[in-house]
Amino acid sequence: MVEAQKYKPSMQLSDESRVLPSGEREFMLDVSTADLEVNMGPQHPATHGVMRVLLRTDGELVTGAQPHLGYLHRCAEKIGENVEWLQYLPYTDRYDYLSAMNNNLGYSLAVEGLMTGLEIPRRATLIRTICAELNRVASHLIAYGTYGLDIGAFTPFFYAFREREWIQALFEKICGARLTYSYIRIGGVFNDTPPGWLQEVGHFCDVFEDKWREYYDLLVENHIFVKRTADIGVISAEMALDFGLTGPMLRGSGVDFDLRRDMPYMAYGEISDAGAFDIPLGRGEKGTLGDCWDRFYVRVAEMMESIKIVRWCLDAIEPGPVLGDVPKVIKVPAGEGYVGIENPRGELGHYVASSGGKVALRCRVRGPSFTNLAVLEDLMPGTLLADSVAIIGSTDIVVGETDR
Amino acid sequence: MEQRPFLDFLETLGPPAWVPEWALWLTAAGLGVGLITTIISLIALFSIWLERKVSGHIQCRYGPMYAGGWHGWAQTIADGVKLMMKEDMIPTGADKPLFVIAPAIVLSSIFGAMVALPLSYGFYFAQMDLGIFMILALGSTTTIGVVMAGWASNSKWSLYGAMREAAQVVAYEIPLGLALLVPLMALGTFSLLDASHAQAGFFGMNWAIFQNPAVLPAFVIFWVAALAETKRAPFDLPEAESELVAGFLTEYSGIRWSFFFLEEYAAMFLMSVVAAVFFFGGFESPLTWAAREAFGSNTHIVVQLVCFGTIVIKGFIGVFLMMWLRWTLPRIRIDQVMTMGYKYLTPLALACVLVAAIWEAILSLF
Amino acid sequence: MDFQAIHDRLVAIDAPGLVRAELPREPNKKEKDPGRSGESYVVVDSARMVDFLLACRDDERLDMKLLVDLSAADPAVDDENFWVLIQLLSIEKKHRLSIKAFLPKDNARMPTATAVHRGAQWHERECAEMYGITFEGHPDPRNILLPDDWVGHPMRKDYEFPTEYHGISCE
Repeated sequence: MVEAQKYKPSMQLSDESRVLPSGEREFMLDVSTADLEVNMGPQHPATHGVMRVLLRTDGELVTGAQPHLGYLHRCAEKIGENVEWLQYLPYTDRYDYLSAMNNNLGYSLAVEGLMTGLEIPRRATLIRTICAELNRVASHLIAYGTYGLDIGAFTPFFYAFREREWIQALFEKICGARLTYSYIRIGGVFNDTPPGWLQEVGHFCDVFEDKWREYYDLLVENHIFVKRTADIGVISAEMALDFGLTGPMLRGSGVDFDLRRDMPYMAYGEISDAGAFDIPLGRGEKGTLGDCWDRFYVRVAEMMESIKIVRWCLDAIEPGPVLGDVPKVIKVPAGEGYVGIENPRGELGHYVASSGGKVALRCRVRGPSFTNLAVLEDLMPGTLLADSVAIIGSTDIVVGETDR
Repeated sequence: MEQRPFLDFLETLGPPAWVPEWALWLTAAGLGVGLITTIISLIALFSIWLERKVSGHIQCRYGPMYAGGWHGWAQTIADGVKLMMKEDMIPTGADKPLFVIAPAIVLSSIFGAMVALPLSYGFYFAQMDLGIFMILALGSTTTIGVVMAGWASNSKWSLYGAMREAAQVVAYEIPLGLALLVPLMALGTFSLLDASHAQAGFFGMNWAIFQNPAVLPAFVIFWVAALAETKRAPFDLPEAESELVAGFLTEYSGIRWSFFFLEEYAAMFLMSVVAAVFFFGGFESPLTWAAREAFGSNTHIVVQLVCFGTIVIKGFIGVFLMMWLRWTLPRIRIDQVMTMGYKYLTPLALACVLVAAIWEAILSLF
Repeated sequence: MDFQAIHDRLVAIDAPGLVRAELPREPNKKEKDPGRSGESYVVVDSARMVDFLLACRDDERLDMKLLVDLSAADPAVDDENFWVLIQLLSIEKKHRLSIKAFLPKDNARMPTATAVHRGAQWHERECAEMYGITFEGHPDPRNILLPDDWVGHPMRKDYEFPTEYHGISCE
């Protein structure tokens, strides 16, 4: 009926795992040796939070890897079944804390999908788009900076934070918070933009375009960086689909798919039809298609595309209301629906089911980091210790989202 | 002639006749050790402050700004005091004697290597005919301390760091030594003082790199190998904080940790000065030449001071270069480190030696 | 393809385990039907889920190569069934399909989808620990988010919150 089990337990000493990335076979002496098991995490600089990877190593060679999650589990889904619809919104900020706007957006869209007859004002849609894309830039800047740190380059991290700081200042102006915004609400956005805010966003776009070139030259094309990331952690397109990878992880493997263009939500269909943005893809430029460099490149290139989207929205935005006709206590009609949006890390899905009351029946969060992380078990065996750090970094996980 | 600068200095003071000779010896030794420790500590303290400022300015920030007033000059001292005040922690499973000895070995070997370092034509701790051998030998002894620290910590990450350090140093000792052979051949001496003498002339610009075509490539090789020797980025694999937490330093804290830190900066300065002495003229610069012209001899106090200033500035230029590299480049991988050391640098260094030897042989014909 | 076309295709290829399609409907006061908003989904027999997923994956017009999500839901304490919710996505054809399967609470077992989509592996582990659903043939049936010694299945509606964990009071 089904083809044979494809699964291969990762914590085994397979013969293949003793082949070095360069293709040389590890030279085995006739001495009884045992592999060293070492815990990478939960407190380790390379795991980007509190994740633990149990590594089995033979010297510098990783022969097995097993991720252990749950150190940051905060029961988001259970809370979602116990608090009112709007009250849950601040909790969405907390799963992927680097792209809280996108989380707000995903949840709001999912709930709005059930509320028939609710109309979102156009200005709100465009402000949402601007915020989501700026947040994507901020999130990718972190990915850029921390990946540099993983590879051992410290300085790009500070440069990335300088620009991210500006985005956070912009968000602070619009909603008062710098990390957990709760700005995008069910029915629209919380309030209108303060005077001069949109102009400042435009100014930011101008400055960022210059800086982006700097970032690109500093790290992406850096010879040592390319040597460290090209041909490492190769995910083929087939494997990416099999594991259900989404977002830059999928596009890094050369699969041309972006929810914003291919299954548009909000104003993205319009923007895409206007040809305002492209979808950067991994092309195997520096090594094999789908290696760490490709994934990293996709993220860096996406920042520029986000800026283009923001510019389009800035041109199109007009005064108007920003919040639809939403009652104070939201009652959602019975029903259920799944809405997936393009989060910086992949498809952020919200499955919400309502029985018609003030509280959700089920509030499922499909975090992209969680799914993207599953690929680690397969990628890490057979690499060197430093490569395994590069691989974890290239998945760009946020542990808050893997554990929720 | 035997060189005993401190003993000679004491004898010029005219000690009373009842003071036995061994007491003079001891005093001279104590004086020397005290002086060298002070100078090296000051240089290391300054280097640490410099590193923080340099990294800060490279990264669009200020670095320390408060401690002490002017641009946070006292930050390192404040840090040192804090580190000394910290609880002395030894992990439960650690090998206590080794754990305690390791930083001492690291620090004493690098201070020992400093003994061979002349600071001016008349100001040196020991005039050694084979000074560079002493520096290289003691400089690589620090590895023993590092391996010891890694093993004694009883931590897997520390062990990784120690093993990486051992592998890396073994791989880069060879090109380091070979690359140094080139200026040694050009200058014809193993002594650091004589090397400096050999580069005098031509308005103080008769540097080794201008004397022989193989010296410049040899310097590049030497510099790469020196980076690996001193565990500086992009060769900072033994501590590689994003991979190995902190490598061999993982379990160290407080004053012991600061010893490793002090060693790192002392080694940086040492390597930079060695590079300055054997490749870039030592004490010689147009300023030194002018001072010598004005005051007549190498022993005049102004010339001495100019020499001292020259070598310290040259050393700090090297230190700055190392910092610049560290805050710019990503870290390379262990197999790439090994490949570079064994497959590229060693043959290249050998080729440099060959070219230098042929050049010298041709020169000797005329 | 829209939902109707996907459903027609599923019927046409005689997808194994397909029970019915559920569409949104307007509230009907006469029949006391509260209606159903949201999106359409298909109900699939849980025992034949693997074959259904395989059919969806391998049919060239459906081409649903990506399993986006696999989760479960406990609709109510007195409900007899868990829901198992699967979201499929086609990269080439750019359409989605929501799948729901009903799983009796007293015998919550279904075959694992790992062999069809390896991405299901971690999702199934999460479902298993949170709801106590057994995925038969799962290659690595350990807890993933919860500690290994956790008692109970927290996402069930009748879950009683523990008052202490390893001697740590949490009241």
